[in-house]
Amino acid sequence: MDQLLLISEIVNVVLFLMVVGWLVARILGKWKTTKIAAEKPQAKIPDKTETKPPTAKQPPKPSRSEAITLLATLQREARFVDFIKEPLDSYSDAQIGAAVRDVHRDCAKVLDRLFAIQPMVNQEEDSPVEVPAGFDAGRFRLTGNVVGDPPFHGRLVHHGWEATEVRLPAWSGTQLSVRVVAPVEVELA
Amino acid sequence: MSTSREKNTAKFILGFDLGTTNSVLAYAPLDAENPQVELLALPQLVSSGTVESRTMLASFAYLANPNEAVGGVLDLPWTKQRDFAVGEYARRQGAVVPDRTVGAAKSWLAYSRVDRHQPILPWGAAESVAKISPVTASQRYLEHIVAVWQELHPEAPVAEQLVVLTVPASFDASARELTREAALAAGLPQDLVLLEEPQAAVYAWLADRGDRWRRALKLGDTLLVCDVGGGTTDLTLVTVADDSGELVLRRMAVGNHLLVGGDNMDLALAHFVAGRFAEKGTKLDPWQSVALWHSCRNAKESLLATEGATSDQYPISVLGRGSRLIGGTVTTEVDRLSVGQILVDGFFPHCKVSDRPARRMASGFRELGLPYETDTAITRHLAAFLQAHGPAPGQPVRPTHVLFNGGVFKADILRHRLLEVLGEWFSNDADNQAPQMLEGSHDLDHAVARGAAYYGWAKHRGGLRIRGGTARAYYVGIETAGLAVPGAPRPLKALCVVPNGMEEGTETDVPSDEIGLIVGEPAQFRFFSSSTRKNDRPGELLASWSLDELDETDSLETTLSAAEGAEDDYAAVRFLSRITELGVLELWCVSTKNNSRWKLEFSVREDAGAE
Repeated sequence: MDQLLLISEIVNVVLFLMVVGWLVARILGKWKTTKIAAEKPQAKIPDKTETKPPTAKQPPKPSRSEAITLLATLQREARFVDFIKEPLDSYSDAQIGAAVRDVHRDCAKVLDRLFAIQPMVNQEEDSPVEVPAGFDAGRFRLTGNVVGDPPFHGRLVHHGWEATEVRLPAWSGTQLSVRVVAPVEVELA
Repeated sequence: MSTSREKNTAKFILGFDLGTTNSVLAYAPLDAENPQVELLALPQLVSSGTVESRTMLASFAYLANPNEAVGGVLDLPWTKQRDFAVGEYARRQGAVVPDRTVGAAKSWLAYSRVDRHQPILPWGAAESVAKISPVTASQRYLEHIVAVWQELHPEAPVAEQLVVLTVPASFDASARELTREAALAAGLPQDLVLLEEPQAAVYAWLADRGDRWRRALKLGDTLLVCDVGGGTTDLTLVTVADDSGELVLRRMAVGNHLLVGGDNMDLALAHFVAGRFAEKGTKLDPWQSVALWHSCRNAKESLLATEGATSDQYPISVLGRGSRLIGGTVTTEVDRLSVGQILVDGFFPHCKVSDRPARRMASGFRELGLPYETDTAITRHLAAFLQAHGPAPGQPVRPTHVLFNGGVFKADILRHRLLEVLGEWFSNDADNQAPQMLEGSHDLDHAVARGAAYYGWAKHRGGLRIRGGTARAYYVGIETAGLAVPGAPRPLKALCVVPNGMEEGTETDVPSDEIGLIVGEPAQFRFFSSSTRKNDRPGELLASWSLDELDETDSLETTLSAAEGAEDDYAAVRFLSRITELGVLELWCVSTKNNSRWKLEFSVREDAGAE
């Protein structure tokens, strides 16, 4: 019974990760199309060698990909990257389950706060649903026997998810940290 | 009432809630027909170099090491080159760099044993940390909110708006004055109004109810406002009275400043869970202990929720600290029953209305630091409060309704327990109903700021106001004349200068013998307050009082400038007290010979370390 619960929990997390991945891709895609010009000057990001930033001229304010900002937020508040980057092979389901609960809760909080994600259709899945004439192809995915003209009548398979807000944090760090998802942490005695 | 005094440039009413752990700003446009109270989204650093909006500004300040504060990582949209941070990032840093993090500055404001103008926070931090004073810390939180407002509303400068700032009802005149000082330094206007937090919570409820409040409360009802925040508990009684045919609300009593709140509950739970870990042989390091405290904060709500619980056991984990998250995670299970006992019975135990909180042990040496309550039982503090304000000894005040405020009461079980205990004290009988919770929606985190904005709106546009005047009576210490005995202090008497319930916008002469002061030298008076002595009139001289009746606060002082044409270097004065329209207490020495008068000021500085 416990095993089953754990497995369902893991399945939940995997589903959830897919959603996050999809969101990241979406934001990244949007960002690319709209901000491509802004990105050009810093296409070459300084590597780890000690390149001193020019002090005489006011350097342009470094800007960071919003996808990195989202990842950094999920890592900071929910340890998301730590969790995904850790190989699961050597752990029992119980060990994974213990960690998942916290990661899951905190990821959900971040998504709620930054995107206020809501189902797009307020209807039970499996119930009959109508796709109106002139529907937006980006808002509906039709499967099965797609013939004729809308309105279409079918069965709701997935209610969809939509970010009802986008409130990503603003970032004001240094040029060398534009790709940092989590900084090195050092405890001083 | 005082519309003539009000600025005609004001477009908004701003309600500031400067909280012990979180601060909030609610605002409403003045020209709206109905009060439309909104919360200001507050951008703040949530991590180094990362700014995000929240509805609450965490009331913490992080004083960064100069090497950390480079490259603009502590910048905000409106300010550059910062070497400190306030808000969520500062709160988080408190867990990992406690020596550089200021918290609970507000509780320090009310603590008269230290000089609140001196850089003493973070308390006990190393010499190398550039500390700040409790007043400065409060100023920085308010400055942050003011800056956010200015960014959003450049057309409506804060200094030109109508501003209400809330303070705990239990704050005495000196703590209020310090709050005012921080507020003025942060750019709030001179005519800012201080409003007691429990009253603000009532205003928030009134705003939500509109005229329907008359259906919920009737003449003679007594409302208990029970406000349990992160670090403090504030109790207030409001009665429904009749004023020439109109129902009015009157604030009847306020409790003492109690340093017990939600943080104590999280800590108690963490302590218990740490014990469970220890039983399993897992020893938590300091970082894990802090992480556990945060886990417990998160777990508290689900643990206390009685509905939807699928099992009696609840797992609590502390995630691994390094990048090996799963491998480093330690976990244990707690059963809901024990947690219920720790939190519900620990903080809201069943008790008798005649019970008293356990007293703090008196000892010759007491480490300075905030005087946290020894007894965490909020119900026993409540019993003592109701007893202290009853019509006669042994007869507690009987509230008819309860209004809850503060994040702690998000847990149904705690609200129910408090009502249950009140029900045991005041059981149903033919004439009386057990105290009921006030109906209506309750926004426990933001009610105080919302209520403050609504109050300002009602004050401006005309609306129901809670009356009550000062929550305390105030006394000046007078040394009695007589032959001096070497080594023995002269007996001290307490002269009542402000009666309990003195209304805003009034002043009173204090009848007394003439008091002799030396011109050109500072004169200093010890100053006391009482929230329980209700019948003392101005001029009454107390020769003795019990320890818990009168609280000593910062002393008052003034320097008598040589009055024009005065022959003596000695002036005979009497006192005059005023409560301004804005609720500020002023005490004056008035010459009995001519019209000269000198205002007494709190001498917070002189008092420090006097203990």
